[in-house]
Amino acid sequence: MKVSNRSLFCLLINGIGLLGLAIPAVAHHSFVAEFDESKPVKVTGTVTKVEWQNPHVWFYVDVKDETTGKVANWGFSGGAPGQLMRRGVTRDVIKPGMVIKVEGYRARDGSNNSSGGKVTFQDGRMVFTASAEDRIPGEKDKK
Amino acid sequence: MNWLRIFILPLIAIPMLAQSSGAQKSVPRMPDGKPDFSGIFEWPKSPNGEHGKGSATIFDRKNFAPLKPGGEAFLEPRTGDMRHDEPRDFCMPAGFPGGMLSANAVRLVQNRNFLVIAHEFQNNTRLIPLDGRPHREGLEPMFYGDPVGHWEGDTLVIDTTQFKRWALDDYFYTNPKEFRMHSDALHTTERMKWKDAATISYQLTIDDPKIFSAAWSQDFEMKARPDWEKMGIFEYVCEENNRCPGGKCEKH
Repeated sequence: MKVSNRSLFCLLINGIGLLGLAIPAVAHHSFVAEFDESKPVKVTGTVTKVEWQNPHVWFYVDVKDETTGKVANWGFSGGAPGQLMRRGVTRDVIKPGMVIKVEGYRARDGSNNSSGGKVTFQDGRMVFTASAEDRIPGEKDKK
Repeated sequence: MNWLRIFILPLIAIPMLAQSSGAQKSVPRMPDGKPDFSGIFEWPKSPNGEHGKGSATIFDRKNFAPLKPGGEAFLEPRTGDMRHDEPRDFCMPAGFPGGMLSANAVRLVQNRNFLVIAHEFQNNTRLIPLDGRPHREGLEPMFYGDPVGHWEGDTLVIDTTQFKRWALDDYFYTNPKEFRMHSDALHTTERMKWKDAATISYQLTIDDPKIFSAAWSQDFEMKARPDWEKMGIFEYVCEENNRCPGGKCEKH
C-alpha cells in the first residue's frame, strides 16, 4: 500500500505529551543504507508483533489511514536488542495491543517499513528505540 | 629474631611501598605484575576528537598525516552501491579498526598468553597473543588482520598486519558522500595502558603507506563499566533478522 507523505501525517491519531528521557547513543549500522532521511514518517496505531532479534529489533503497527479508512501494517526498525537493554529498554516495553506513536524515516524501497527512532505511549512516556544514526524528525543529530 | 625485623623486612617492604605509592598503585595486575585489563568497558571514545553524526567513534581528520598522491581515492570512493558503501548492512564484518570503534560494549579477558577483545558488535572477537610469537605468514588478507602483542613496561602494544582493503571507520554517517577505506597495506599499532583504575588509555596508530605519507595516531579512552558486568555482553547474530539489506525490505 502506497501512502503519500501528506497522508502519513494524516495518520496521527493521538496528541500525546512527551516525557524526555536521556538516552545514550548507540550504533545502528544501517540507517544510511536502508532509510531515506527526506521521507519522515509519523504514525500512530496498534502494535501487532514485536521481533526482539538481531541485528535490529522490529515492531509492527497496524495504522489506519484516516482518509481512506484502510489499515496498513507497518514495520519499524529499532536498535540491537543488547543496546536497547543496556539503556533500560527491555523486550516488554513495547507489547502487542499497545497503541503507540512512532517517528522515523521511510525505507528506501518505499514499502511500509521505517526506522523507528522514537516511540511515544498513550500515557505520554517516550523511549528512543533506535539510535543517533536513526534520525528523528524534528531533531538534529541527537547524540 | 630482632635482626630479621630490623634488616630483612625493610628490604621486602620498601620496594612494595614504592610500587604501591606510584600513580599505578590501584590498577589491576596479573600475578606476574603485568597490568590486567580484564573487565567490561565502553568502546574507545576520543573526548577531544571530532564527533560525527553517528554514535560510533570516528577518526578526526586533523590527526591524519598528509595524503600521498592518489590517497584521496581510498578515503572517498563511495559508489552508491550499498554492497560496497555499507557492506555491514548485508551482515559483512565491520573489520578493524572500524568495528572496534562501534558503539557497543567491549569485554576484555586476559591471561598470561592472550588478551581477548570481545566486542558486542557483530560478536567480534580478537585474540591477541601475548607470548612473544611473531606474525603468522602466508595468510590471506583479513578483515581484522593478524594481531600480536607485547609489553613495553605497563603498556600493552598490539601490532596488527595482513588486512584486506576495507572500511576505516563510520565517517559516512557524518558525510554520506564519503566512505573512508584503508588499503591492504594497513598496519596498526594499539597501545593500551591504565590511565587510572577505571580508564584505559587507548592509542591507535594508522600506518597505511598506500594512502598516507606517514603513520598517524589518535588517542582514545575506554571507560570501565562494572555496572554492565551483571548484564554482560549480548549475542549479536546479524543474520538472524536482517530485514532490509541494502534498503530492500522483506515483506511482512
